[in-house]
Amino acid sequence: MNPFPGFTLSPELELLRDQVRRIVHDEIIPAEKRVDPDAEDLAEEDYHRIVAKTKAAGLWSLAAPEQYGGGGVNTFGMSVILEEMSQHRMGLYNPGCGVFGRYPPPVIYGGSEEQIQKYAVPTLRAGSYTFFAITEPSGGSDPAGSIQCRAVRDGDTWVLNGTKIFISHAHEANWGVVFVRTDPTKGRKGISCLIIDQGTPGFTARPFRTIRTVSLPNEVSFEDCRVPAANMIGKEGDGLDLCMDLLTKQRFPYSACNLGVARAAHRLAVAHAKQRSTFGVPLSQRQAIQWMLADAEVELRATRYLIWDGAWKADRGEDARVEASVAKLYSSEMLGRVIDNAVQIHGGYGVTKEFPLERWYREARVRRIGEGPSEVHRMVIARALFR
Amino acid sequence: MKTLVTVKRVPDPESTIRVKPDGSGIVTENVKYVINPFDEIAIEEALRIKEKQGGGEVVLVSIGAKVVSEQLRTGLAMGADRAIFVACEQELDSLAVARLLAKIVERENPELLVMGKQAIDDDANQAGQMLAALLGWPQATFASKLEFSADQKSVQVTREVDGGLETIGFALPGVITADLRLNEPRYASLPGIMKARKKEIKEISVSELGVDITSRLKIQKLTPPAKKQGGKKVETVQALVDLLHTEAKVI
Ligand SMILES: Cc1cc2nc3c(=O)[nH]c(=O)nc-3n(C[C@H](O)[C@H](O)[C@H](O)COP(=O)(O)OP(=O)(O)OC[C@H]3O[C@@H](n4cnc5c(N)ncnc54)[C@H](O)[C@@H]3O)c2cc1C
Ligand SMILES: Cc1cc2nc3c(=O)[nH]c(=O)nc-3n(C[C@H](O)[C@H](O)[C@H](O)COP(=O)(O)OP(=O)(O)OC[C@H]3O[C@@H](n4cnc5c(N)ncnc54)[C@H](O)[C@@H]3O)c2cc1C
Repeated sequence: MNPFPGFTLSPELELLRDQVRRIVHDEIIPAEKRVDPDAEDLAEEDYHRIVAKTKAAGLWSLAAPEQYGGGGVNTFGMSVILEEMSQHRMGLYNPGCGVFGRYPPPVIYGGSEEQIQKYAVPTLRAGSYTFFAITEPSGGSDPAGSIQCRAVRDGDTWVLNGTKIFISHAHEANWGVVFVRTDPTKGRKGISCLIIDQGTPGFTARPFRTIRTVSLPNEVSFEDCRVPAANMIGKEGDGLDLCMDLLTKQRFPYSACNLGVARAAHRLAVAHAKQRSTFGVPLSQRQAIQWMLADAEVELRATRYLIWDGAWKADRGEDARVEASVAKLYSSEMLGRVIDNAVQIHGGYGVTKEFPLERWYREARVRRIGEGPSEVHRMVIARALFR
Repeated sequence: MKTLVTVKRVPDPESTIRVKPDGSGIVTENVKYVINPFDEIAIEEALRIKEKQGGGEVVLVSIGAKVVSEQLRTGLAMGADRAIFVACEQELDSLAVARLLAKIVERENPELLVMGKQAIDDDANQAGQMLAALLGWPQATFASKLEFSADQKSVQVTREVDGGLETIGFALPGVITADLRLNEPRYASLPGIMKARKKEIKEISVSELGVDITSRLKIQKLTPPAKKQGGKKVETVQALVDLLHTEAKVI
């Protein structure tokens, strides 16, 4: 027998991770201190100064395919990297504050070369925001059943009517993708995906406020909004299918952000417990506190392997849909528990804006709803059990 | 120009350093290691010299256990061309290091040696000076700026000295030790990281170099710095001086 020696990261990936960690520590965290604790982004000059460095170091757009100017880092690599990239105040919804680039919705890679060149490539280059519009007022958990937004073909355009809700960045992005019903008789197979340019007549995005004070979601309405037929990604009726594989892969780096922020919160909690004394004894010597931190440590370690295991499968080309749901579900719920305890251990300081904890605490709540709520992921996992 | 740069593996200055209970060393479990920050500045400077002159070679050298290859890889990922690793498990004093390096210089014949002004672990600040003496080369320590002559045969070095800056010049070859303000080191790039995998790290044993590395220094004991006490405000300078004398016993 050849006993398995265990997992080790390649020296290249370790080095890459260390560079990202260093940039977060030396550049991003100090720059974050210069803006409001609730700020959405860094100050322009800081952003551009740091981007000049990441671009010079080829640390820009690491996940994008090499032929489109990216680093071609795979799902596992990105999971390792995002665990570092998210470890700062804005990190959960704006990992690295965008200084390592931002990505268009992955479904664009299901499009034609022309669409990729026209939309994905400039976005990758500029690191700008895009939007991804699937949820409707009728419900986000079951898009196949609830999408009512209609698109009717008229010559070489599609005419859109309907409403989307909770669409992050729709008011500020240059473009985005929208999932619409092109055939009401066909259920899941009647949904198609279109690219929408900002400013298209009949497209309106109205931002509203949530517990997450950044990356504002929008109510998006389409009123006789005409979109060129050339803007359809893939074939008519392929909308939901063409993004499944890409969305599955995206869940692992997404989960790694949950892990990164939880680790950062845990580290703060351990440090605070060591130096804070009540009734003459450090908190770190109280079993009530120790158990919170011990449980967090266990969950953090477990999360990492759930993410890695699924990412490996996805990179090998195996079906990793259940693993994606496991990682997403566990990492987002774990994050909620770890942050909650970290806030508790900090007492009053946990809810002040002096620490990133209160922002993480608020944003973590959204992680159990967005990208598929916990219940839906449990449903996916359970379905696989009974198949 | 061929430049040799020394690289020492040291504990990450960000990590919490704990002294072993018996004072024989520091607790090394869970300590992250990095390139000595001053050596990193030295690597950056060598890379800039090469880039500016449009040619040449940057060779790294490190002495220590096998694990120092991690730091050499990082330096190669920053852009150095190749590396030499002198395998040595035992603790070395500055003179032994200088002697080993002198042998490497004999083999490599670089035109310039760039080193860190000190290593942040033992803060000895003498390897560069000793090496220059052994080689009979000129030295410029605490460098904050370098300017080469047009024919690249000599260099003007601005040094950070007590109370100001001093500029000295010498004809190459020579030894320069880098101070904090010499440059801001670059991040290793993704292409650099990928290329580093294929670059050579040549291993040499101490016996091959035929150097006596017996230590003349013995570390008696390490003690952690005294815990910080709360501050105290005093009314007059005289009161401060009195306290420094009677209480702190430092003057
Ligand atoms: C800040 C924010 C940003 C967002 N950004 C975007 C975006 O950019 N693009 C986008 O398309 N969407 C976005 N969303 C929408 C998000 O994806 C949806 O909120 C999510 O899919 C849930 O849909 P819903 O809110 O309509 O809840 P519903 O689908 O109405 O579900 C309500 C609750 O019922 C539970 N539930 C549903 N079905 C079942 C079942 N079968 N069994 C048991 N329980 C069930 C759900 O888990 C949930 O807890 C965003 C949401 C938020 C809050
Ligand atoms: C918005 C806000 C408004 C406030 N307003 C007021 C006000 O008007 N007036 C006022 O006087 N105060 C006010 N407070 C302070 C509040 O009462 C304190 O935050 C609270 O008493 C906790 O104290 P602390 O924050 O110092 O936490 P700590 O005492 O440092 O406690 C930190 C954590 O350790 C836990 N802990 C402490 N001792 C032990 C132990 N022996 N065993 C196990 N766990 C332990 C605590 O339960 C807590 O989870 C306010 C706080 C906030 C956040």
